[in-house]
Order: sequence, then structure tokens, then C-alpha cells
Amino acid sequence: MSSAPEEHLRLQEIGVSFGNVNVIPSLDLSVRKGEMVAFLGPSGCGKTTTLRVIAGLNKPSQGRIIVGGRDITHLPIHDRDMGMVFQSYALFPHMNVSRNVAFGLQMRKVSGRDAEARAAQALEMVQLGHLSHRKPKELSGGQQQRVALARALVIEPSILLLDEPLSNLDAKLRDEMRVQIRALQQQSGITAVFVTHDQVEALSMCDRVVVMRGGNVEQFGTPTEVYERPATAFVANFVGRTNRLKGRITSEGVLTAAGQQLRSATTLAPGAVDVLVRPHRIRLQETADAANEVQGTVSSITFIGDLVQYGVRVDDEEVVVEEATRRDRRPLAVSDKVTLGWSAEDTLVYPAGEK
Amino acid sequence: MSAVSASAPPRQWRDGELAILLLLPIALINAIGFILPVLNLARYSFNRSRIGGGIETVFTWENWAGLLSDRFYLELVFNSVWISLAITLTTLIASYPIALYLHRASGAWRTFLTVLVISPLLTSAVVRTYGWIAILIDDGPVVSAIKAVGLPAPSLMFNIKGVFIGLTEILMPYMILALMAGFGRLDPRVEEAARTLGATPARTFTKVILPLTLPGIALGCLLCFVLAVSSFITPKLMGGGRVFLLATEIYDQAIVTLNWPLASTLSMLVLIVFGAALWAYSVVLRRLD
Repeated sequence: MSSAPEEHLRLQEIGVSFGNVNVIPSLDLSVRKGEMVAFLGPSGCGKTTTLRVIAGLNKPSQGRIIVGGRDITHLPIHDRDMGMVFQSYALFPHMNVSRNVAFGLQMRKVSGRDAEARAAQALEMVQLGHLSHRKPKELSGGQQQRVALARALVIEPSILLLDEPLSNLDAKLRDEMRVQIRALQQQSGITAVFVTHDQVEALSMCDRVVVMRGGNVEQFGTPTEVYERPATAFVANFVGRTNRLKGRITSEGVLTAAGQQLRSATTLAPGAVDVLVRPHRIRLQETADAANEVQGTVSSITFIGDLVQYGVRVDDEEVVVEEATRRDRRPLAVSDKVTLGWSAEDTLVYPAGEK
Repeated sequence: MSAVSASAPPRQWRDGELAILLLLPIALINAIGFILPVLNLARYSFNRSRIGGGIETVFTWENWAGLLSDRFYLELVFNSVWISLAITLTTLIASYPIALYLHRASGAWRTFLTVLVISPLLTSAVVRTYGWIAILIDDGPVVSAIKAVGLPAPSLMFNIKGVFIGLTEILMPYMILALMAGFGRLDPRVEEAARTLGATPARTFTKVILPLTLPGIALGCLLCFVLAVSSFITPKLMGGGRVFLLATEIYDQAIVTLNWPLASTLSMLVLIVFGAALWAYSVVLRRLD
């Protein structure tokens, strides 16, 4: 066995148009066997469209889809062997839970008793064995979601496609399902594509994240890469929160922002730039070893419980700083003078005006 | 605005009070315009008819006994039901694809097509029936076209074929509207789910689309069956006096023969047929849920 993970899904120059609107210009992507990849982006970024192209539900206007070395671009939907979980779950309302799950097996000509046994097994896997005779409308949202998951997994599909599966659940259930979906995916070793607009879902569940905007891939990397080294200002803004300061790089290559010189790990051509710093990477007062140090005045304080959010006026810009609540230091008050410090690695620099 | 705020706060209706008040007008109209006449018909059906259209107000089972022992009337009932069922089925088959297409269409195109489907309802059935007569008559365009191709000329008018064709077309708008009303449960995502799970388009239709549209089918069939059984003008005109159905016979008995008790008995028989259809419909609906 080679250690290099095998490629399982490849999208080659995929383009999609709806009428005159070119939703996806040209998209290239490669997903490895057994990994779970998130398509992350705001609504209208083309993430769901891309997923539907893989499933065959939307036709690409150009390009090829290759799964396991086989070109499936022109394969009809029912021959693609994809397990899809829809945002609305799309359970068959006229069938009970057990028949819903067995449907895909039936279509694959699995014998009745065999299909029943495998459906029962899949339902046990999502802890719903006891509800197999209920109709979908007699289930809660979370239960319907698990039935949809069992229905997609029982056919042992080539790829599991999840279209915003958690967005209709309440917060607590969403946390539980996140863990459960990831566990099921890892147990079965199935290749999965997970569409979401929620960065927490993307970062916490997936091996790699595709950040999309306007039908283009902004960045494709591990959650850490996407978060720590955002390829563009858009990625930095969309994944996690940031402060944005107006700055310049002089012809000597010196970065200035907030009225003073700053140090960054990235180098850029001279000109106007945006400097991005994440709120929780800024330290208050204890700035002895910080590469960057600026003075400011506290202008607002928001207590969130585990966090305190300070608005700090620096030069003529407002910087948000987040700090874990603590007891060892006197809490800051509005109009206190403070020193902010952060490292060169946390100083992200992008050409100005990039959104 | 000020006038509204100055007036006394609206009286709070108790549950049911408002419902009764709102239902009262339609209940009254129904009582006067439907239930009383039907009771009257029921009464006539137990009266005796006199030559010349008179009614002898005695209580007698004669009409019912005569009807149920006369082969002509039994065949009339049987034929009416059978032909109406066949027309309903033809209407369903002709309407279903149109309704499904309309259900899936969107925007201005859908509005346009819906108006197109409903527009025949804006023309009276009499006019449309005469239109069909002009089209289907022996030297009309359809027969001429069939002759021109070299096929033997069929006789499409003034027989059961004409009634069949005309009624099917006249009932289609009702069927399409009823089907569309019943297509609510048909979610395109559910069809897509079936497709991704390996169902071919044909199996998606039989396993998912058809079962989910059964409520619409049941409603449309009930409606069209009732309309077909009670249709009078089209069979009268297009049947050319050779097609005997319940509705035409009632007309003949009431208007031509002036035997109102017999016409009333036949009408009650139609009502019984409708009751049976309604019962069948409710059984189907209960099974579906």
C-alpha cells in the first residue's frame, strides 16, 4: 500500500450555466478516497450546484466528472451510485421508515428479506431501529435526518453527498449530529462531500475545506490552513472573524497601519493593503514578546460569558479584541488606556479593496 | 385610523361561535336551494303519475318497483355508470401528463398554460358541443382527413363515440385542476432522492410520483365521474337521440313524457350512485393516509 491517498473524485473544468447566467465558470477539484470535504461559502456561491452536478441532478455545460478513474459525466442519475442527503431530507412520505431505507436496495434488486435485514441494520446504526414502522411525518426533524442518512448509507454508495443536512436542526441537535455524521463517515471509510454555509461545521467535521465564492474556488486546504493562512481576504473574513485595518507597504517594503509600523509574516508588493488580525489573537496588556504592539483606548465592552469582547480605538480605527473571561486581573473599563499585542504570523496582509 | 382606534375594542368571539356565524349563509342557501328540492324529489318518487303530467299524492312503491324490475332501466343505470367510468379513465389519462407538466412549470409560462387549460370553462358546454359536432360530423374535417389517408371512414358523430370524445374534452379542465390541487405532496426533491437511490425515471414514476399523486387522482376521478353521470347536454346533442343515459332519460321523462314521479325516482337513483362514488372516494382516501 502506498502512503499517498488515492484520488477518488475529480472535477475537471466543470462549468454550469442556468440560462444566460454562468453560475460556475470553470471548477477543478480533486477529492481523495475516504476523506470528507466541505464545500463552504455564502449562499449563491455554487456549492450546492456543484454537489448536484456530482449527483447528476444538474447538467454541467462543460467539463468532466471522474469517480474512481471512470468518467461519469454522461451517466444517468440512477446509475451514478451516489448517496445523497437533502437539506429537506426528502423522505418518501408514503412509505414507512423501514421502506424508505430499503428503497435504494430494492432498486438494486436486492432480495426482499436481504433488503429488510440491511435496512434494519442501517437503522440500528443511527439508533432508530425502534421507529422502523413510523411514517416520516411522525418523526422529529432530527430523526428524519437520521433516516435520510441511513437511507443514503445503506446502499454503500461510491460517494456520500450531504446538502446542508444540519441547517434545519436546532443548535443542540446540530452539535450531536455533527459528531454522529463524522463518526459514521469515518467508520464506513466512505468518501463524503458536505455542503454548508456554516464554518464551524466545515472546520470541525471535514478533512479538507473548499471555500467557494461566485462559482470559484477561493481556497482548498485543511481546516487549519484555511483558518490560519487564508489565501484571500474573503476567506479570512468568511472563515472566522477578523479586524480589518487600512495600511500601506512603502517602496522600502515597510508595512504601516493604525498609524505605526507593523511586522507581518507575509510580504507583498508596495501599495495600499488591508491588514487583517483575528480578535482572539490580540493580547491585552501582556505584550512583552509580541512582534506588533499598538496603543489604544477601550471604547466598548461586551460580556458574552466565556468571552469578553472589547472595542478598542486605535488611531482612528476600531479594533475588536476577544479575551477569555478571567479573574486574575481587574476587568478593563471604558476609556482605559490599553496596549494591544499580536504576532507577525497573525498579521495577515492582502492587497487593498479585496473583499 | 383614528375612527378605528376610537371605537370600542372588537368583541371576542368564543370558539365555534364565529364558525357557526360564517357557515350560516351557505348552510341556508344549501338548505333552500339543495336539500329542500332533493327532499321534494324524494317525495315525488313515491307519488303516482297521471296521464297528462298530473301527480296523484298517494304513497306508493310503484315507481321504485317498476324501475328495479324493468330491464331497460337497469341497463340504463349500468350503461351510464360504465360509460362514465370509462370517460373518467380516458380523461384521467389525457389530463395527467398535462397536470404534471403544469405542476412543474413555473413563472409566466405556467400562468399562461394554466389560463389556456381553464379557458374552455369560459365557453358554455353547449357551444363546445356544437364545435365538436362540426369537427366530428360525417363530412367534417376529421372524417375527411381519415378518408384522405385511405382508411375506412368511421362514424364519429351521433353515437356513443361522439359522446365519449366530447365529454372527455369537456371534463379535462376539471380533471386537470383537481389533479393539480392534489399534487401538493409531490416535492421535486423527493423525486430526486428516488433517482439518486437508483430508481430509473419509470420506476420513480410508479414508486414515488404515482403514489404521491393518488389523492389528486381520486379527487379528479370523483369529480369527473359525477359530472359525466349528470352530463345531459353533450350526450343529448352528440348522441343524436341514440345514446340513452340516466340524465337524458330523466330529461325525457320530466319534459317530454311529463312523468315526474318516474323522473324523480331516476334522479334519486343518480343520487344513490353519487353516494356510492363518494363512499368509494372516502375509502380510497383513508387507505392512502
